[in-house]
Amino acid sequence: MSEGLNIVVPIKQVPETTEVQFDEETGRLIREGVAAIINPFDEYAIEEALSIKEKLGGVVKAITMGPPWAADALRDAIAMGADEGWLATDRAFAGADTWATSLTLARCIERMGGYDLVICGLKTTDGDTGQTGPEMAEHLDIPHVCYVNEITEIGDGRVVLKRNMDEGIETLEASLPLLITVGKDINQPRLATLRGRLKAKKAEIKEITNNDLKMNPKEIGLDGSFTRVVKLFEPETHEAGEVVEGTPDELAEAILAKLQECKVI
Amino acid sequence: MPEYNKVTPELWKQIEAIVGTENVSSSPEDLEKHAVDESPLEPHPPQLVVRPGSTEEVSRVMRLANENMVPVTPQGSRTGLSGASHPIHGGIALSLEKMNRILEIDEDNLMATVEPGALISEIHEATEALGLYYPPDPGQDSGSIGGNISTNAGGMRAMKYGVTRDFVNGLEVVLADGEVIEVGGKNVKDSTGYSLIDLIIGSEGTLGVVTRATLRLIPKPKLTSLIYTPFTSTIDAAKAVKEIIHHKILPFGLEYMQQHTVQTMEKYLEKKLPDNSHPAYLIVAVEADTPEELERQLETAGEICLEMGAVDAYIADTASRQQLIWEARKGVFDAYIAMYTLDEADVCIPRNRIPEYVERAEAIGEKHGVLLVPVGHAGDGNLHYNILKLEETPMEEWPELMEAALSDLIDMSHEMGGTASGEHGLGYTKRRYLEREVGPRQVDLMKAIKTAFDPNGIINPSKVWP
Repeated sequence: MSEGLNIVVPIKQVPETTEVQFDEETGRLIREGVAAIINPFDEYAIEEALSIKEKLGGVVKAITMGPPWAADALRDAIAMGADEGWLATDRAFAGADTWATSLTLARCIERMGGYDLVICGLKTTDGDTGQTGPEMAEHLDIPHVCYVNEITEIGDGRVVLKRNMDEGIETLEASLPLLITVGKDINQPRLATLRGRLKAKKAEIKEITNNDLKMNPKEIGLDGSFTRVVKLFEPETHEAGEVVEGTPDELAEAILAKLQECKVI
Repeated sequence: MPEYNKVTPELWKQIEAIVGTENVSSSPEDLEKHAVDESPLEPHPPQLVVRPGSTEEVSRVMRLANENMVPVTPQGSRTGLSGASHPIHGGIALSLEKMNRILEIDEDNLMATVEPGALISEIHEATEALGLYYPPDPGQDSGSIGGNISTNAGGMRAMKYGVTRDFVNGLEVVLADGEVIEVGGKNVKDSTGYSLIDLIIGSEGTLGVVTRATLRLIPKPKLTSLIYTPFTSTIDAAKAVKEIIHHKILPFGLEYMQQHTVQTMEKYLEKKLPDNSHPAYLIVAVEADTPEELERQLETAGEICLEMGAVDAYIADTASRQQLIWEARKGVFDAYIAMYTLDEADVCIPRNRIPEYVERAEAIGEKHGVLLVPVGHAGDGNLHYNILKLEETPMEEWPELMEAALSDLIDMSHEMGGTASGEHGLGYTKRRYLEREVGPRQVDLMKAIKTAFDPNGIINPSKVWP
């Protein structure tokens, strides 16, 4: 593909913390006093997009949905090397669950001047659902592959990918356009640079509101969401299971001993 | 040199009665462990290792040693680089590892009181949990505060805050004859008499045994950030240091590294740094209480670097990214010692001479057939020249080549108004350079001070001067 790829990277601004605090009354995340950063998984997506662009040429467009200050995340993406920043911002988009978010983002992506590849982070560190990416692919009506660890070949309208599954490493071939989600094994994200940041400061962030999209108010924001947060609680932690290795006979012995130890038999 | 005695079986029993049998050891493992620090000096095993648990115990052991003319070498975590904690004459290695408590963090006076064996990393953790800051940050987190006081350690934040001396406000010291004195305390000001505390700090354990220290604390700045800046020339990077200082911005850290170090660290840590393809790098680290101030400092420093020929400046603004860069910087000595035969020079020069020093040092390496890799607290003018053995150099030729290169590096430092040791101390391995730097009259004054503190010469003998 001589003219290069058109790559879209949807990103999200999240609080910089390992322990997300939330208000149990309202069920909302407490964001005050916590610095906002690009969702760390999205940085792998940006890095992958930039390295594809370095190989094949093209353009990398970052998009996020959020309040006006989410533009900071887009500027951070531009400082890393993204070419364009797009901000979907409208009070009507507020309160969206993953369905309404992915639908809104899909409609935005369709307006951003074409796309060959959409690269998403596996999940966000605040929501942790991992749904928005695949849902976006469904709304765009394109194929998607999750948990991609490596892009081994890309060009001529096709891409070869690897992903680590529980059963082993899968190698997949897909045609473009395609949406993938990537995790932290795929690369090491580059740091933003000062030159990049100076460029990002001057960069124009292109805003998209519902005036542009003209989506039915029932499809977006809280009204367009099928899910409600009814309760928030800390997940229970489980101890890691014990892995026993050996020949079939040894394993049988080990299991028997374990069952006896637990007084199950 | 006084005639020293060995520890007799009788004396041994008396020491055991003071500290408990379990805290006196002559096991081969203990003797081996307490025979060395991290300098390239050959081991000097003590006759026995004693681990006191209190000031009282230290005092009683010292009194006995003094009466019996047995040499005593105080030891912390033995991470020193000049052999200062080597028991050169055997005798007792007085390890303060058990006296490692943080006794008090006094938030009303902004002072922490600690025992000498407390580790720097523990002091940082305990104070920072309260929003307080003990700024000295020598590269070695496993170093003890007692050792830091003995060498007047500096480290990564000295450019902005100063060195250990600037944050030690009071000491409890056991003298050679066992008497316990307190110098300084929690007073911010003190103009009463000679400042004995300043004599003891940096005396490399030759004037007494520090058994408690009161450290000055400050409020901890809320935010930190840094840039990692590649340059296309080693000299340009050194010139940028001068320019940053000249522009009156005060980063807390301003570190210089060359490509050899960056690539070595990537190999050693099995991690990738933001860039490894340029001859030299600066790390400029800033801190502030507001994002705006942080940004302003970072951008000013970054723009100066760009003007001075930096390729770009990678911004590490999250804690984990900063940690990676600091891990790479702080681990340099550990990496080189694991991969090379080496010694490390520790010169400190007036900061405006750094570019000239870096440029001329290259010829010293070539002249002696050693690989010279400077890694430096450039913001302080404190350059650590790692003197590395080339693979083809035979081991028997190495000590002479290394010493010749070290000697030239120190001479050049002196020529530029610099010093032989910025923060490691002279200890045993660099003691020959004292007189060259300060002259015979000052050496005589130091010897007179030593005699006043320790007339029998039993505490850490043969250190600081030959």
